[in-house]
Parts: sequence; C-alpha cells; structure tokens
Amino acid sequence: MISLTQNEILKILLKKKMLLIFMLLLIFVSLLSYGQKYSYDNTIKKFEAESGGVAYDWKGLTTQRLNDLEERSGNAFIPEEVRASIDREMQQLNYFIENDINPITPTASKFNVQFVEQGITLFIPLLVVILAADLVSSEFSKKTIKILLTRAVPRWKILFSKFLALLIMTTLLVFIIAVSSTLVSYLFFQQWGFSEPIVTGFRLVGDQLNSDSTILISRFQYTLLIYSLLWFVSIIMASITLMISVLVDNSSSAIGILMAALIGGQFLQFFLSEWTVVKYFFVTNLDLTRYLTGSYQPIEGMSLNFSILILSAWAAVALIISFMVFNRKDVIV
Amino acid sequence: MDTSVLKVSNVTKRIKKKLIIQDVNFDVKQGEILGFLGPNGSGKTTTLRMIVGLATPTSGNIEICGYSIKKDYVKAMSNVGCIIEGPDLYDYMSGYRNLEILGSMSKGVTKKDIDEAVALVGMEKRIHDKVAVYSMGMKQRIGLAQALIHQPKLLILDEPTNGLDPQGIHEFREIVKSLAKDKGISVLISSHLISEVQLMCDRVSIIDNGRIIRNAAIHEIVATGEVVWTVDDPEKTQSILKDKFAVDSSIDAKNVTASILVERLSEINKALIYSGIEIKYVEHKKRTLEDLFLTLTDKHKIV
Repeated sequence: MISLTQNEILKILLKKKMLLIFMLLLIFVSLLSYGQKYSYDNTIKKFEAESGGVAYDWKGLTTQRLNDLEERSGNAFIPEEVRASIDREMQQLNYFIENDINPITPTASKFNVQFVEQGITLFIPLLVVILAADLVSSEFSKKTIKILLTRAVPRWKILFSKFLALLIMTTLLVFIIAVSSTLVSYLFFQQWGFSEPIVTGFRLVGDQLNSDSTILISRFQYTLLIYSLLWFVSIIMASITLMISVLVDNSSSAIGILMAALIGGQFLQFFLSEWTVVKYFFVTNLDLTRYLTGSYQPIEGMSLNFSILILSAWAAVALIISFMVFNRKDVIV
Repeated sequence: MDTSVLKVSNVTKRIKKKLIIQDVNFDVKQGEILGFLGPNGSGKTTTLRMIVGLATPTSGNIEICGYSIKKDYVKAMSNVGCIIEGPDLYDYMSGYRNLEILGSMSKGVTKKDIDEAVALVGMEKRIHDKVAVYSMGMKQRIGLAQALIHQPKLLILDEPTNGLDPQGIHEFREIVKSLAKDKGISVLISSHLISEVQLMCDRVSIIDNGRIIRNAAIHEIVATGEVVWTVDDPEKTQSILKDKFAVDSSIDAKNVTASILVERLSEINKALIYSGIEIKYVEHKKRTLEDLFLTLTDKHKIV
C-alpha cells in the first residue's frame, strides 16, 4: 500500500501539476498583496487630503472609541454578557494602543486569512480540482489504465492509493497556500501581526448576530483555525473531484463539470432564502469561514455544524460511488 | 497433472444486451504459443481483456495456473503479463521509471529483474530517456519488458506487431519464441496477420462473431490438404475412405474430394488400388492457414 501511494505521489509530481498550481498562487497572492498595500496607502492619503493636511491620527480615533466603550461598560443596567463582550473589545483596542499599532494596518497574518476568506468558495477549490481532476481520468484518456489494472493488485487498492496520495498532496497544497500568502504579503506589508488579538465566535440567535459567546484569541491562533477549515474544505473538494475523475474518461470534461458546479453553485446561493433546498448543495456550504467573522447572515438552520455535516455527507457519498464504479468498470480503452 | 496455464471455459460476454462473446472455450499449455486469429471486431480483444481482468465475463470461468480470476484475482494476475492494444506507458517519465513503478506493484520484483527485462528487449541505451521521445518500436520493447518484469507464466499479447517495421517484427518474433522455448512461458498472441501466426505459433484458435470456430495445431492445418481422386468407381472409393480411414468425402461426377493429412496419402492410395479401384489421377491441393481462415470466416458471414 505504501509503495502504491508513493507511485501515485510520484505521478502527480512528475506531471508538474504542483508547479503550475504554485505559479498560479504566487501570481494571485502577489497581485492581491500589492492591491491591498496600494489601497491602504490611498485611504490614508485621501483622509489627510480631506482633513486639510492634518496627519491621519488613528490613535485619537481609537482612544475615542475606547472611552465610549468604557462609559457603556460603567452603566449598571446592562446585562453581564454584554459587559463581557465590551470588555473583550476594550482589551483588543488597548493592545493596539499599547503596542502602537494602527488596527487597520495590513499585516501578513491578516492577509493570509483574508486570502482564504475570499478564495475558499472558488479559487482554492479550483486549485484542488486542477490537482485531482486527472487522477483517474488521465489513466483512461492516456490508456495507461491497462498497465495499471493488469497487475496483481485488486482494483480497490489502486483507487485507495490514489485517494491517499490525493490527501497528502491536498494537505501539502493547503500548507503551500498558508506559507506563500504569509511570506509574499510580508514582503509588501513588512508586518507579521501574529500576536494581535482578534474577536471571534459569533453566534446566530434568531435573526440577530450574537456576540455573547465571542472570545479573544491571537491572530496566530485564528490563522490556524481558518486553515484547518480550509484543509477540511479542500479534502471534501478532493473527494468530490475524485468521483468525477472516475466517472468521466477525460480530464478536461472533469475540470469543466467541476467548474460549472462551483460557479453555478454561487449563482444558486442568490435563491437561498426562498428556495431552501439549495442549502443541501455542497457549493453553498463551502464558505465555512463566514461563520467565524460574524459578517454573514445565513438562513435558518445553517450553522458551522450543519455545513460540516453536509460537506462530509457529500464526500462520503462521492467516495462510495467512486469505489463502486471503479471496481466494476469494464476497461475498453 | 493438468499442464494448462490458461483455461477459458464457456465464457460469454454481453454488453448492453448484445452478445459479444459466445461460449468461448480454449486452453494454453505450458511453453506453448497459441495464436488467436480473427477478423477485426470478432471479439479477440474483448476475450483477452477478460483474461487479464480488464473486463468481467457475463458468465463462464477463466483460470490462470489453476487460479480462478474471479475468486483468486491476485494470485491469478501475478502469473500474467500482457500488452493489450499497443504499449501505453506514462510518457512523462523515463522508460526505466515506468518499469520501476509497475514492478513495485508486484511482489518481489528486484532491480535485477528490471535490468534483465531491459537487456532482454535490448533497450539498455535509451532506457533513461523520457517515453515521450521513444519511437513506436521502442515503446513496444518497453511494453514487452513491463509484461515480463514479474516473471509471469503466461504472456498475453494483443496485436503486438502493429506499427512495427519488418526488422522490429522479426526481432519481436524471435524474442517471444525464445521466451516460450527457453523459459517455458506460455504465450497467447492475437493477430489478424495470418503469416505472423503461422511463423510463431504452435496452435491456433480462430474466432469469428464471438465464437471459436476452430481449434487446431498449426502443423496439422498446414499438413492437411484437399485431395481429389479421379476414379472409375467413386461410390466405392467413398465407402472405403469412410470405413477404413474415417474420412468424409464428396462426389462430383468421377471425382472424389476429401480433406486428409498429406502423409496418409500413399497409404490411402495403396488401399484403394488393392480394392481394385482404378485411379486415373490424384490431385493434391496444398492448403495454407490463410485459406482455412478465409473459408471459415467467409462461410460464417454468409450464414
């Protein structure tokens, strides 16, 4: 089994797929980092121009907000949970003032998270699709499946070794995304910002976003959390791609089908609030990070747990279909 | 002891309600080269694909070295090496790496096995080049090497000389012949090139429209000829042939025609003369495998 998996990893590496993916990543990460740096500089310039040449004073604004919060927290009539949440925000602001950091300064640790938040529904799944779509289908289109399946190895083992290789390469891909987005953006921003505190853990209660259960964690912990979610989503995408790769006999059709599903799924989300069955589609559930930021208002019944459950179910069914079809398929190429 | 390395029993294959292979039976003995002849679309490749596990028979059984490919897939397959319709290799790696990868899938294949296979097919010089730059002949050699690295007892070759030049065909033929002779490997080789089969094989199975229509030894086919006796008493001649030699014949005016082994001709003639039959003329029409193939497959098409 180990040598079979090694073979499959070797095949992926020799096809130079990873190199292509890495180049795509570098280009996008560089462009986005540059864009963010550019727009940040512009914002400050604009502020200074509007306020008639007065230097942008973030400290003043932050201190003002801090004082407001302090006043509210001093009010004896507010409930205990709200006070706790105000305290957390005050801690966060204090950190910035004490360490003399502008809260809106772009940093590498902010960028790597933003990159995932933006890319988790389309760009990163697309990279996984590029990696996985030809895993089985190219063996058929290049007819090498004949030398692969006429060995003294049962078919399920061959597919399983491909799946294992895919898991390893997907994990490597997520790692490469993390490292390249952090390093490249650091080159532009010159700030790591890993120890900055961030508030997370928003919950939806009724139709209100509730911040009672929020916690304060460091940017570094938050990055780990976001990338774990990305890893999970990537594994799910890899499993679904594997199924398409088994079902379709050529790589370009496989990539086409998956792209159509990913892009079509984005459109379907527009109908989500009226047509609730859309919430069971895997593309609708890919964006797990939105549950953490509190900026997203999902419909009734959709939560982090719900999405994880739906995605897992899709992957499980995809794998079952892959193995059943691959085991029975007559090779006629 | 049963020396059959391959035993195909009552195999039928149905694809979308259409019978592709009907009740096929044949076997290959140790060290024997069996030619599998048939026109295009007769079911040759489908049959071979079922033997190497690429397709599953609808019914019937296939045994390799006594192991059923249904029940003992891994054991059965460890005794088979094959090239099915052209040598398709991973063209983004070197020939050697192809062999390494495929070798690692069988138990106990060492570097020495790979080197030996490479030497056998004469590819030492170019083995580390990428397959993408190989010529058809070179790919075919690597194709043969990958079929041999795990030292199978049965070699399945489907149209192996397609796309080879005459020199390559000759070399390929010599390699396969020596494998059978020196290493005792059994070979099942499919082809639509009759001359090739005649030059290489010990026995031949002819398939048409998914049925085996003839199983015979090559020397038997070549040695069987059509003999026409022009005699004064055709009925008596016919009955003598039937009673003494168990040969069926047909009468056309004064001519009696029968298919016999040529070596028996003098014996038969003697018997006829002793019975008082006057033989005016004996004509012996030599028959080649090609004639047999054409008559058998043509007949089938008309029906």
